[in-house]
Amino acid sequence: MAGYLARRLLRAATTLLGTTLILFVLVRVVPADPAVSIAGPKADPATLAAIRKDLGLDDPLPVQYGRYLWALVHGDLGRSYVTGRGVAALIGERLPATALLAVTSLAIGFALGVGVGLLTAARQGSAADLGVLLATLVGLSIPTFFVGNLLIYLFGYRLRWLPLGGYGGVRHLLLPAATLAFVELLFYARFVHTSVSGTLASDYVRTARAKGVRPLALYLRHALRNALVPIVTLLGLDVASLMSGVVLTETVFNWPGLGRLAVQAVFSLDIPLVAGTVLFSAVLVLACNLAVDLLYGVIDPRVQHG
Amino acid sequence: MGEGRRGRGLLIVGALMVAAIVLLALLAPYLTPYDPDATVVARYTGPAPPSAAHPLGTDTLGRDVWARIVFGARTSLAVAVLAMLVSLGIGVTVGLVAGYFGRWLDTACMWIVDLVLTLPTLLLLIVLATVLPPSLLTIPLVIGIVGWTTFARTVRGEVLSLRERDYVLAARALGASHAWIIVRHLLPGALPSVLALAALGMSGAIGLDAGLSYLGLGVPLPTPSWGRMISETQTYFAVAPWLVVVPGVALSAAVIGFNLIGYGLLDLLGASRT
Repeated sequence: MAGYLARRLLRAATTLLGTTLILFVLVRVVPADPAVSIAGPKADPATLAAIRKDLGLDDPLPVQYGRYLWALVHGDLGRSYVTGRGVAALIGERLPATALLAVTSLAIGFALGVGVGLLTAARQGSAADLGVLLATLVGLSIPTFFVGNLLIYLFGYRLRWLPLGGYGGVRHLLLPAATLAFVELLFYARFVHTSVSGTLASDYVRTARAKGVRPLALYLRHALRNALVPIVTLLGLDVASLMSGVVLTETVFNWPGLGRLAVQAVFSLDIPLVAGTVLFSAVLVLACNLAVDLLYGVIDPRVQHG
Repeated sequence: MGEGRRGRGLLIVGALMVAAIVLLALLAPYLTPYDPDATVVARYTGPAPPSAAHPLGTDTLGRDVWARIVFGARTSLAVAVLAMLVSLGIGVTVGLVAGYFGRWLDTACMWIVDLVLTLPTLLLLIVLATVLPPSLLTIPLVIGIVGWTTFARTVRGEVLSLRERDYVLAARALGASHAWIIVRHLLPGALPSVLALAALGMSGAIGLDAGLSYLGLGVPLPTPSWGRMISETQTYFAVAPWLVVVPGVALSAAVIGFNLIGYGLLDLLGASRT
């Protein structure tokens, strides 16, 4: 277990380092001169030179990368070109809104999805399989922002039950959370259905059934437990795609979270802010994947010895 | 047997949907008398609902929605095909190299795959789209750059199982070069699943392109794009729902079509292997 843990930690660390390198390269090859972004296009050359010197833009690239890493280790994500405030603080302000939206929709979507997957898997047969495949295929093909707009039209404009967007109480949360939960639900329903019905058809379940294990125990102890490992893996990987969904959903509903922050930063060419948001999400994904790896040890005893 | 029939069904429906959209794109200039970017109403009084002259109505600038849809199909398909080819090129190469040579090259390639998977796709796209000025060439390029990992993983998996086969070992014993073995013996074996992935890659690229366009970071104006049609008109949803619903349905249909083809092919592959 200790060796497994060390390997996973090392891999997470190198991936994180790779991410910072990618972001650094992207940020440094931006054609727009950061000094111009800060001082404006009409600034005189002396001011631009002073800003360049201040930011260390004239130093060799490896030196700049080293300085960037050094700052990151100290929790310094740089300063926004536009507002001049610390990127970490800006992210901190927006984080609660995004966390609320992401956690709510993931919890609802995951619970419902696993439930639907289990129920449909119990109904064996190709008709149920085809139904789940088609429903999830069609549902997952509809762009998130279109789903969001349809919900706004129905519940906001037509029925007038819920606000059209913005941030506030539970009423504001319902539509954006439903938009994201819709995707999550279909995603997990399909996966759990396939995984569990595959297990139910396997030899050892047939043996257990022949030995007289009651259907419910068979279902929960044998089929579900075996399906749990891939489901948990998926949960870890899904965080990355959830973040993508969050960006679009926040834009549709004008939800003041990290996604809105990143998109707005792009339009003002606020490079440190964009890079900071992306790095933050990458760290989040890495942390979730690491947590999932550690969970394996609990769910699947074989991992500890492997 | 059941799998095979189901796969064929999915494939046929998907192919019909995709064929319809491809026809729209190819025949665009013959399907509408209007310029998709021009204001075509004589006197603008707000977006007009569908009528005989404008079967899908006109939009907030008095442009013909049907014309924008058929020309938008060109944008969507062009971006998706280019993006998919970029992903295919990178992914298949990386997969072949990693699977065939193994050892440290495999470790390095899979590390890069993990790295790309860790970065949230849309956020990475946003950064890339900021760095590279958006155009009909850079948008597919950036979508392709973030979308190749599945190709690499699948091809690597196929190669790992193929490279120990007798015919590959025989070729090696006969002194065939690495390049010859990869291109003549391994690539053909991986091709069927690559084909299925290419279809799924198309739907993924269409979706990502639509997302970027919706955020305003896609192919620049005035090129008509389905994603932008939605973001431009969503505030009019209450008074002119067709402006949002029509491009939304077009987008969904395109993604569904390619997904059906992809899953149909995967089904057929699975059926032929058992």
